[in-house]
Amino acid sequence: MNSPKTVLVVDDSRFSRLISRTFILSKYPDWIIEEAASGEEAIEKMGRISPRLVLMDVNMPGMGGIAASEKLRMQFPELCIFLQTANIQESTRNKATAMGVGFLEKPISEERIHKVLAELENG
Amino acid sequence: MFELTELQHDALIEIFNIGVGHAASALSEIVSEEVGMSVPMISFRKRAEAASKLDNDEERRICGVRQNFQGSFNTEAILMFPEEKSLEIVRLMVGGSLSMQELTEMEQEAMSEIGNIILNACVGMLANMFKDDLRSSLPSYHIGSSDDLLSIDENHADDVVMMLNIDIVLEKHQIDGRVAFLMDMTALQDLRPHLDHYFAGLIS
Repeated sequence: MNSPKTVLVVDDSRFSRLISRTFILSKYPDWIIEEAASGEEAIEKMGRISPRLVLMDVNMPGMGGIAASEKLRMQFPELCIFLQTANIQESTRNKATAMGVGFLEKPISEERIHKVLAELENG
Repeated sequence: MFELTELQHDALIEIFNIGVGHAASALSEIVSEEVGMSVPMISFRKRAEAASKLDNDEERRICGVRQNFQGSFNTEAILMFPEEKSLEIVRLMVGGSLSMQELTEMEQEAMSEIGNIILNACVGMLANMFKDDLRSSLPSYHIGSSDDLLSIDENHADDVVMMLNIDIVLEKHQIDGRVAFLMDMTALQDLRPHLDHYFAGLIS
């Protein structure tokens, strides 16, 4: 049996964080879900937690998800990060690819999240 | 008065039709049912007039989400539904995974997020077609008459804007909404080369 993993959900929308949390726990009820409402808060929390996965919104007040992901990528090269965003523009997808970050299109779906979690569990 | 050529007009309709089609697909995924769309309607009005004409029924209360997009052209994008239907839309989105109390508490945030997804799905598609990068503001949520949705700066109340409306309908649940885009004349001028380029790409 695999040990519980921690996922950090970064989104300024409390609703989106709740949906992500609900979908993750529906499949992995013993996993730990941490939340941050901004890129700054996510970076600050990374000093205290060691998530296996970060789900990062893009359009947020403050530094935004792209800048926060860049920063996390530099500090934690092995960390699995996915942009989870309504911003479906090619330019945003290209930025994700350039950073070595995955891309999850909103609306958040149970199926899409579970696919990422299964890869994480197996890898 | 600014005028589009017939081809530019057609290209504009076609492009927004594709964009809202993508948005309707996102909405359909959110509510798990088919979403119907009307033909886009374009009109030119004074900004103050546009606010009152955002909704067909000037009297009814609506909940709306507005976002501004900026790039090689600027646009204001608005998604609106009748106020009494918003909780039902949120409930359709989350199914049975949240309690009614949680739903009610989060109605405003949920509608903002739904607006964010729908409007970005549409404008993101336009940006991809134009090979552009459009930056969006955070979604702002409003409840009230359609007048309340657009903040009217007195200095710009008489400015002419182009308003493009597409109605969307969730037939199964009898929910009708609207996606609207507003562009001032400068934005329309900026958009014109994109329309020409799009049309040239189609016939080449």
